[in-house]
Amino acid sequence: MITKLTELAEKAINSGKKTRIAVAVAEDNNTINAILKATNNGFVSPILIGNKDKITALLPADIDSNKLQIMNITDPAMAVKEAVRMVRNNEADVLMKGLVGTETFLKAVLDKEKGLLPPKAVMSYTCALEIPKYHKLLFVSDTAVLINPDLNQKIAMINYSVAMARKFGIEKPKVALISATEKVSPSMPETLEYSLLCKMAERGQIKNCLVDGPLDIFLACDPTSLSIKGIQSSLEGDADILIFPNLESANSFYKGLMLFGEGELAGLICGTTKPVIVMSRSESENSKYYCIALSCLMAEGK
Amino acid sequence: MQISKLDQMFDVLATRPKKRMIAAWGVDSHTILAAYMAVEKELIEATLVGDEKKILSVCKEHNLDCSKFNIVHCPVDIKSASLAVEMINKGKGDFLMKGLISTDRYMKAILNKECGLMDPGAILSHVTVTESKHYHKLLIVGDVAIIPLPDLNQKIAITNYLIRTANLLGIENPKVGLLSASEQTLPKITSSADAAIIAKMAQRGQIKGAIVEGPLGLDMILDRESALIKGVDSPVCGDADCILFPNIESGNTFYKTIIKLAKSELGAIVMGARVPCVLTSRGDSECSKLYSIALAAMLA
Repeated sequence: MITKLTELAEKAINSGKKTRIAVAVAEDNNTINAILKATNNGFVSPILIGNKDKITALLPADIDSNKLQIMNITDPAMAVKEAVRMVRNNEADVLMKGLVGTETFLKAVLDKEKGLLPPKAVMSYTCALEIPKYHKLLFVSDTAVLINPDLNQKIAMINYSVAMARKFGIEKPKVALISATEKVSPSMPETLEYSLLCKMAERGQIKNCLVDGPLDIFLACDPTSLSIKGIQSSLEGDADILIFPNLESANSFYKGLMLFGEGELAGLICGTTKPVIVMSRSESENSKYYCIALSCLMAEGK
Repeated sequence: MQISKLDQMFDVLATRPKKRMIAAWGVDSHTILAAYMAVEKELIEATLVGDEKKILSVCKEHNLDCSKFNIVHCPVDIKSASLAVEMINKGKGDFLMKGLISTDRYMKAILNKECGLMDPGAILSHVTVTESKHYHKLLIVGDVAIIPLPDLNQKIAITNYLIRTANLLGIENPKVGLLSASEQTLPKITSSADAAIIAKMAQRGQIKGAIVEGPLGLDMILDRESALIKGVDSPVCGDADCILFPNIESGNTFYKTIIKLAKSELGAIVMGARVPCVLTSRGDSECSKLYSIALAAMLA
């Protein structure tokens, strides 16, 4: 079982595999640094698509250019399309966003004929957080894509996060459905949805996990809070996955931990046929590297 | 004592101080005979509010000793209902019974905002206790008669009434099955979604004193084998004390089916008012009427 992000990177290194990552509009210092670190550690074989002159200018002098494949496409929209095409045609295993607007990037990913999302699939975002004060990784969804997920989208969020946690070696992850309280109340609509999700998991309609909610963060992750409040939870205050009711809460949770809690993360777009890496530029060098390692893990068997 | 047959209520009532029943417009032979039987069995004391002449003539016709009743003369049906309610509010009676007056008028007297029997925000609902030869215990079900299509809030109230009824019949920690067409959680089917919500509320202690499970199909509520075949292992399945029905059609059809086809008996009352209210139908058997009176006395 992987309990630290450094172990995630080690696993990628020790796999002996080289994951082919197509980087769309690669002329970005941050992106190149992270990709080169993974390349130098031997688990990534990158295809840098974009303005070749600009890309070359960003590469360090001592780089072995045989390790890199660079494709010169100067128009960002065209570069993204080419990167998506390569992933679709199995010429690459992972898609990664470089110096291009998220809108342009996702447009190509979501394209019905030429994109990477199966029909009717939900696209969502899950990240694995490492927090010094928690004894294991915490998977969190949706921190980036779905603004106000409905019941079906929440089911998808759970399934994606469970699939990811299982790749980390957690056989039956514990999924906490997060709210401000553990009580079910019609005035908080997500608590009603959570009741349904719990029962669905109990009835085997959502598989491979234990689900409980509504729970607040304390009750989800701290057994002491659970016993103080005298609440029975199948998760026993030992959650692996936190599902948030909306983007604002999930996003604030992870950013708060990044800023004040010395957190690191590895995150990925879920729901696509192959892993897609979209990182915020404000993320740390380490987190970016971990995102790449995560994509390699998730690309296995796809 | 845990009651598992309806006539055991008689034994329990015999050991308790008698509750006082007030019958609103109790002037017909159905009401008077049921009340008389209950008094004869020493289950209750009865007051008949209505036209004294009519009451006396029914007693004479059936050879009943009218001195067994307390008779309060009131010649108009609608006034007798409000008078009966007033007597309850003044502490002169412990529960109410409907006589020959229409259900409409009877309910109006109970629901009257100023001088009725309702506390603000209370939900009036109907609880039926059935006894069937084919089931090993009583089944307490609702709502088969008053709320046509209960919303979530009303379902929670009904669930609590079922639990309270079970408790007052000596059944501790009753098992409550929440009925839907299947055990699958189907968000588009209200009965299924509401059942999942109510089950979670019970798990969180927002509904107390019961084991609550749902959604479940009726087969799974009544038969543990059926539940296990479908992969549901709940203590409720095959051993339910209470069933919450999602609407009046399903509940009403259930109780009428078991009465007509499965030789069942029942007692029923209206809950949610300050005191239990008996609301028997003229189609009910003599036994059922007596059970309903006994049930109200148990709960009063």
